[in-house]
Amino acid sequence: MGTLDHKRALITGAASGIGAAAAQLFAAEGAALALLDRDVAGGRGVADRIERDGGRAAFIACDVTRAADCAAAVTQAVERLGGLDIVLHCAGIIVRRSVVDLDEADWDRVLDVNVKSVYLISRLTIPVLRSGGGGSIITVASGWGLVGGPQAAAYCASKGAVVLLSKAMAIDCGPDRIRVNCLCPGDTDTPLLRGEAQQLGIAEESFLAASARRPLGRVGTPREIAQAALFLAGEASSYVTGSTLLVDGGGLAGG
Amino acid sequence: MRGLRGKSVLVTGGAGGIGQAAARRLIEEGARVAILDRDEAACRRAQDSLDGLTAVVSADVSDAHQVVRAFENLDRDLGPLDILINNAGISVRSPFLDITPEQWRAVLATNLEGVFLVAQQAARRMLAGRGGVIVNMGSTNGLTGYHYYADYNASKAGVIELTRSLALELAPTVRVNAVCPGFILTPMQEAEYTSEMQRAFADKIPLRRLGRPEEVAALFAFLASDESAYITGQCFVIDGGEIAGGLASQA
Repeated sequence: MGTLDHKRALITGAASGIGAAAAQLFAAEGAALALLDRDVAGGRGVADRIERDGGRAAFIACDVTRAADCAAAVTQAVERLGGLDIVLHCAGIIVRRSVVDLDEADWDRVLDVNVKSVYLISRLTIPVLRSGGGGSIITVASGWGLVGGPQAAAYCASKGAVVLLSKAMAIDCGPDRIRVNCLCPGDTDTPLLRGEAQQLGIAEESFLAASARRPLGRVGTPREIAQAALFLAGEASSYVTGSTLLVDGGGLAGG
Repeated sequence: MRGLRGKSVLVTGGAGGIGQAAARRLIEEGARVAILDRDEAACRRAQDSLDGLTAVVSADVSDAHQVVRAFENLDRDLGPLDILINNAGISVRSPFLDITPEQWRAVLATNLEGVFLVAQQAARRMLAGRGGVIVNMGSTNGLTGYHYYADYNASKAGVIELTRSLALELAPTVRVNAVCPGFILTPMQEAEYTSEMQRAFADKIPLRRLGRPEEVAALFAFLASDESAYITGQCFVIDGGEIAGGLASQA
């Protein structure tokens, strides 16, 4: 018996990193999944692995920044799963540039993937959750949605927006028994984190070593972030909404 | 939840309310649970109602000597401590101008000094042994202002900062977090609020209801378990969305 037996979950950004880890964990806990990503090969790989392990997962190709893509993907997800109970927004990108060095196109891309996608997917999925009697929405922001960070202007702006978008949605959706919470990971060992080292021109290993400087002395694993998402997805958090859950090895506990 | 089976757990204030719900949940998860409470009669009642409880200690957390003696008993009756649910607390509704120095000291002594005294005994044992987890009882009252609980609010703000500081000093061996409940319908709150007041509170909460002790117990269990192995130094709000922003602007 799993924590998410009979639950149906849609996960964006499911082809890698935290999204892929959450897909595996949610499937192992009994949920049936719709996995969205624009990375077709990666997304299919995650879905195939889950099905091989006896889980249920359908991959749906989707660019979450495009309204038409989102509409088609949500329609397909609802058809395949027969409804939705959980929506986990993992799609995200980072561009390590200060405002002065940031192209307008990069600003738009970061805001579109990290914030607009939450809006687009939510406006399509909230009515589905509502008609099923409620549900749980989990957004993924970042420690850098709560405090600023260097050379990540668009990313910090986008994640700060996700933090408050989540609280606003929690207020609007509460009466419909839809909970909305925001998961804020610290540095986690994902392709995104390793990509940052490349963008900054720093050797991957020394970048990861610097990222480990925090009370628990290491960066997080995608599985550890997925476990927090599982808590927010399931009945264990039935009175939690409008909340931010920081999972960062103590990085923002203080000095 | 992973990592709770067979673990030794102490729940302070475990004879009633959220503490008792936490003790029950952790017993269900397979942990060996001791409760500590200053209310001896409540301790006896809890012993009857909590099947599988490992130990009961009667002590006042605001008294350093009693805390030391309680831990000596726990060393014997419970064994090496893995998890502390540092929950004991009191609240008294008073307008600020009516708070007497005695009441102020009593609230701070139980809610803040008690958390310190118990955490220090627990942390010494955890650091010398196999590590552990401490979860303190904060409150949304420690994060934002509320009428008529100035002493309680100050004590909970203190617990929140104590939590962050302990997380830094005890890392990486011991994880330290706090839970910050909003309106939870415990016996303590049922005694304080009329049903009209409860309805008025519920109207200001996005989920349109007060929380249940078992729902806070589930959060304690998560933060005590290995599922939260990368979480430390955090204060986690469980309030039905109450402090997400507020419904005051709704017609």
